[in-house]
Amino acid sequence: MSYEGVLEQSDSGLRELVEAGEEIIGYIYPHTPLELILAHGFTPSLMRAIPGITSGFEESLQTFACSYIRNLYNQRTNEQLPPISGLLFPGNTCDSLQNLTDIWKVRFSEDRVFRLTYPVTRYANDDSAEIYLTKELEILSSTIESTLDRPFTTDNYERAVSLIREFRLDAQFLYAARVVDPEVLSYTELARLVRSFLSAPVTSVGSEIHRVTLLVKEKLKSKGLLGIIDSILSGLQKKDLSKVNSFKPPSGPRLLVVGGMVEPQAIATIINGIDSVDDSILILDLLSFGFKSVFAPPINRSGNPFEEMAKSILAAPGEPTQEGLRYRMDFLKDLVKALHIDGLIICEQSFCDPDQFEAPSIEKAASAAGIRTVRIPLDPELSDRARIEVKIQTFLESLGIS
Amino acid sequence: MTEMKKEEKVYRQLESNKLLQQIMFQNMLMGHQASEENRLAWVTSGFPVEIPVAMDVGVSYPEQYGAIVGSQKVGPEVCGYAEDIGYSQELCSYARASIGSVENPDNSPMEGLPKPQALLAGNNICGTVLRWYDAISEQTGAPVFLFDTPPIEDEQPDHHKEYVRRGIERLVAFLGTTFNKTLTDERMQEVADLSSKALGLWTKSLTACKTSPSPLNCADRFLAMGPVVSMRGTELIIDFYQSLLDEVEMRVKEGLGAIRDEKIRLLWDNIPPWHSIFKFFNGLAKRGVVFPADTYTHAWSGKIEGDDLFGSVVSIYSNVYLNKGLNAKIDKMCKMIKDYNLDGFVMFSVRSCKRYSLGQLVSKEIVAERTGVPGVVIEGDMVDSRVYNEAQIQTRVDALLEMFM
Amino acid sequence: MDKFGIGIDVGSTTAKGLLIDSEKNVRAKHIMLTGAAAAHAIDEILRELELQSGLQLDNIPIIGTGYGRARIEKSTKTVTEITCHSIGVHSLNPEIRMLIDVGGQDAKVIRIGKDGRPEDFELNDKCSAGTGRFLEVMARVLGVTLDELGPLALQSKTPSSISSTCTVFAESEVIGHIGAGEKPANIAAGIHVSMTTKIGSLAKRVKVVPPVCVTGGVALNPAFRHYLSKHLGLDLWIPEEPQLTGALGAAVLAIE
Repeated sequence: MSYEGVLEQSDSGLRELVEAGEEIIGYIYPHTPLELILAHGFTPSLMRAIPGITSGFEESLQTFACSYIRNLYNQRTNEQLPPISGLLFPGNTCDSLQNLTDIWKVRFSEDRVFRLTYPVTRYANDDSAEIYLTKELEILSSTIESTLDRPFTTDNYERAVSLIREFRLDAQFLYAARVVDPEVLSYTELARLVRSFLSAPVTSVGSEIHRVTLLVKEKLKSKGLLGIIDSILSGLQKKDLSKVNSFKPPSGPRLLVVGGMVEPQAIATIINGIDSVDDSILILDLLSFGFKSVFAPPINRSGNPFEEMAKSILAAPGEPTQEGLRYRMDFLKDLVKALHIDGLIICEQSFCDPDQFEAPSIEKAASAAGIRTVRIPLDPELSDRARIEVKIQTFLESLGIS
Repeated sequence: MTEMKKEEKVYRQLESNKLLQQIMFQNMLMGHQASEENRLAWVTSGFPVEIPVAMDVGVSYPEQYGAIVGSQKVGPEVCGYAEDIGYSQELCSYARASIGSVENPDNSPMEGLPKPQALLAGNNICGTVLRWYDAISEQTGAPVFLFDTPPIEDEQPDHHKEYVRRGIERLVAFLGTTFNKTLTDERMQEVADLSSKALGLWTKSLTACKTSPSPLNCADRFLAMGPVVSMRGTELIIDFYQSLLDEVEMRVKEGLGAIRDEKIRLLWDNIPPWHSIFKFFNGLAKRGVVFPADTYTHAWSGKIEGDDLFGSVVSIYSNVYLNKGLNAKIDKMCKMIKDYNLDGFVMFSVRSCKRYSLGQLVSKEIVAERTGVPGVVIEGDMVDSRVYNEAQIQTRVDALLEMFM
Repeated sequence: MDKFGIGIDVGSTTAKGLLIDSEKNVRAKHIMLTGAAAAHAIDEILRELELQSGLQLDNIPIIGTGYGRARIEKSTKTVTEITCHSIGVHSLNPEIRMLIDVGGQDAKVIRIGKDGRPEDFELNDKCSAGTGRFLEVMARVLGVTLDELGPLALQSKTPSSISSTCTVFAESEVIGHIGAGEKPANIAAGIHVSMTTKIGSLAKRVKVVPPVCVTGGVALNPAFRHYLSKHLGLDLWIPEEPQLTGALGAAVLAIE
C-alpha cells in the first residue's frame, strides 16, 4: 500500500467521528492530557504531518523551521486540517513549536488555540514540576470551559481514564510481544493501531486493539512466551531493563528505530518498500508517536484528576525535556543489550533541534554497545525517499541482512 | 594624505574600547584561574549569573566564545569540528562552535574556553541550550543544571513565579553541593547592587542613542555589551560602563555621532553576523546609515532590587525578550522605533537560531504596518559564514535604502 | 564448469554492465547513457554482453544496482550501489579501507571492511554541495568547460577563499571574485578547496582509514584529486576504470 493509503486507513476513525458530529480538539505533542480533553466532551485527535502539501508556509515561516511545523502550517493554509473546534499546542518543548504557536495565533486569529506549557523537569528532585503542571492543567481546563462552553465532567473523565488505561496496557503488551516474536504482529499493523487510537481515542478503536491483543496473547501463550514478555513489559514500564529475563530471540535481524516526532508508519512503509525485506526486522521503536506515547503510565482513577494527569505526563519516557541525556543513553545501551538489538535506525526530522542534537549521542551510545547505526534525515513529504531507501538498504546489507 | 584619510573615517572609535579590551582579557584569565581551582561554570547569556558570582563560582560564556569564533572568521572550521562528529550544520552555530572547540581545542581560538566543572543553562533564551549543554556535558563530564523559566505570554502567572523560584532554590543547593560554597544574604545583596549599578550605567548609554546623531552604532553596542553579559555583579566592570557613559554623554553634548554623517536611523533585530560585523555596519555607515537601537543589546536591563531579591531574580529572568510571545516582541520593536525616532528596520534571520528568528516574517509585516516605516529581512548566520550570502544581503539592504531616497 | 556473473549498474547518467567469470576476469563490458528509458538501456547492455562473450545469458545470475536497480527485470536480486562499489573496489585492491565516490549528482564515502563489505558510510544530503554538479555550475560561471576547470585550478598557488559550500551561495561568491578582478586560476582553485572540504568532512564522519580510493566521474579531475589528497593528508588510489567499480561489485556478488 502507498504511504498515502496507509495514512488514510488509520485516519478513517477520525473521519467517522466528524461525520457523526463529534467535536474535535486537535493536538500536536505526544504527551497531551487526552483524559482532560475527553472529560470536557471533546475528542482529542493527533494532527499528523502529511505528505503532498509542500507549500503555504513561505509567508510566515523561514525554510529552516522544522519540516514538521512547516507541514502543519501548510495544512492550515491549504485548508487540509480536519474540522476541529480547537487546537492544543505545547509550550516549552522546542523552539520551533513554541514560535509556531505564536505565529499561528497572529495569522489565524479566528482559530481557537490553546497552549499547555510544560515544565522542563530534568535534574529536579522536588515536587515543583508536578505542582506547576497540575496548575497548568487546571487553567487549561477552565480555559476550554470558558471558550468552548463545555464543563469538565467526572463521568466523562472516568470513562476516559478507563479507555486510555486499557489502550496503554494493550499497546504496551503488543510492543513487548513484538520484541520476543516480531512475526506475531507486523510493525505496520501495530503502528496503524496506535495511530488510529491517537487520531480517534474512542471505544470502537480501543476494542479493536483489545481484540488484537487477546489474539496475540493467545498465540504467544501456546508458544509459552508470556513469561518472558511480562518480564520485558515490566522492564519497559519501569524504565529498568536490568531485571529482564534472558531469552533467545528468534533468528533474523533485530533493528530498533529511534527518533522524535517522525511518523512511525512512514518508517514502516519505507522498510516494506525495500527489496526482500519486511518490517519484522523492526523489533521496537522509541519514537514519540510510538513507544513514548504508549509507555506513558496510565492514570490512577482515584486521585485528584489534575494531579494524576500531571504525574502521568511527567513520567512518560524518553523526552529530552524530562530525562537527562545521560539517563536516556544509559537506558538505550541497556535496552540494546537486554533485547538483543543488532542495529539502530536513527531518524532525524529535518531542521529538528531535539532530533539532530541527540543523533550523535545515540551513535556514540550504540558504538559503545557494539552495534551499528544509520542516520536517516526525514521530512513528512519523504522528499528524499530514493536516498533514504539506499541508505537503509545498504545498512541492512552491511549487517549481512537482505 | 594619510592625515586626510584618517579624518575621513566614517565612524568614530570609542576611547573606552581600550578599557573594554583590558577587562575582557582579565575576565578570560579569571576564567582560567577558576577552572584551575575547580570552581568554573559555563553559563548561558540569560542565566541569573549573580547567584554563582555571589557564591564565588567563576563563569565562562560559550555564546561569547561563539562570537569570538565568528569575529575571527573561523566559524566554518570550528563549527566543522562539531559536524565531523555528527552534529548537523542545521544546528545552532554557537552550540557547534563550543562543541567543536571542546572536540578540537588545539585548532580553536584561545584553545577553547577553560574546562568547566558545572554547566548552568537557562532556557529563557531558547530551548536549544538544554540540548547543547547536555552535549557539552557528555564531552566534558561536567554536570548540567537547568534553570527552567517556562515562556510567558502576558503577565507571569503566580504558579510560574513559584515554580521558577523553586528552581533558584535548587540552583543554590546545586552550587552548594557541587562547589562546597554557601550563599549569604550580604554577598547576594552586594552582587545584586553591583549588577544593578552596571545595568543602570549601560541602560543610560543605550537610551542616550535616542538623540540624533546617535552616539553609538550597532557594532559599538555589540562589543560594549560583553562585560554586562558575562561579568555583571562584579566590581571590575563598573569603571568601564562609567567611562563609556561619560564618553557617550560627551558626544551627545557636543553633537557628535557614532558615524560622521547620519542620514538614516534603523533598528536592528537579532544577533549580529559576527564574521562580518564591521564590514556590514561600517559599510552602511559610509552611506549615512546608523543603528541607534537593537533588540539584542537591550536584553540585559533588569535590575535585581527590593526586599525580596529572589523574587526579583524570578521576575527579571523570566521576562527577558526571548522568553515572551510574538506580540511582546512586536510591541517592543514598535516602541523602539518610536522612542529612538527610527526610519526603518533590518531583521537578520539567523538560520541556526530558531527561537530568535522564527516569527520575523510575521513581525516584519506588523511592525511595518503599525509604525509606518519599512523594514527588510536578510538571511544568514551569526557564526557560520558558509550560509551568509553577502551579495544577496547587499541587494536587499540596498532596496530598503532606496525607499528613503 | 565455469561460473559467470553479471552486474548491471543503472546510474542517473550512465548505465554499465559487466560479465565476469569465477576468476573475476572481465568477459564482456558495456557503458552507455541511461537515457529517458532505463529499460531500453538495460536491454541493450544485455545484448552487448551476450554478443561480446558469446555466452547464453539465461542461466547467469544478474545483480542490479544503482538508482535504476528496481528497473532491471531480469535481475536475481538488487543490491545498493554502496555495497557494490565497496565489493568492486575490494576485488580490485583488497588493501583499500575507504572509498570516496563522487558522481554528478551525489557523493558517498564508504569505510570498507576486511571482507569487502561496507562497515560505515555517508551520503551527501539533498543539496548538490560536494557533488559533480557543484563543479559544473562553477565551470559555467567561470566560462570554461568542466574538463578545463581542474587543469586551470592547478595553475594557482593562492586559491581564493570561497566560504560557502552551498552551490547557489558559492556561485554569487565566485561572481564577486570575478568582479573584483581575481585571477580565474585562483578562483578555480578556491572552488576545488571548498568542494574537497565538504567531501573531507563527509569522510571524517565515518572516520578516515587509509588507504583511500577515489572513484566516480569527478575522480578524473586532477585538481579534485590534488586538493582532496592535500586536505586528507593522504595519497589516493584510483582504479583504471573508476566508473565500472559498481557493476564489477554487482557481478562479483552475482557469482557468490
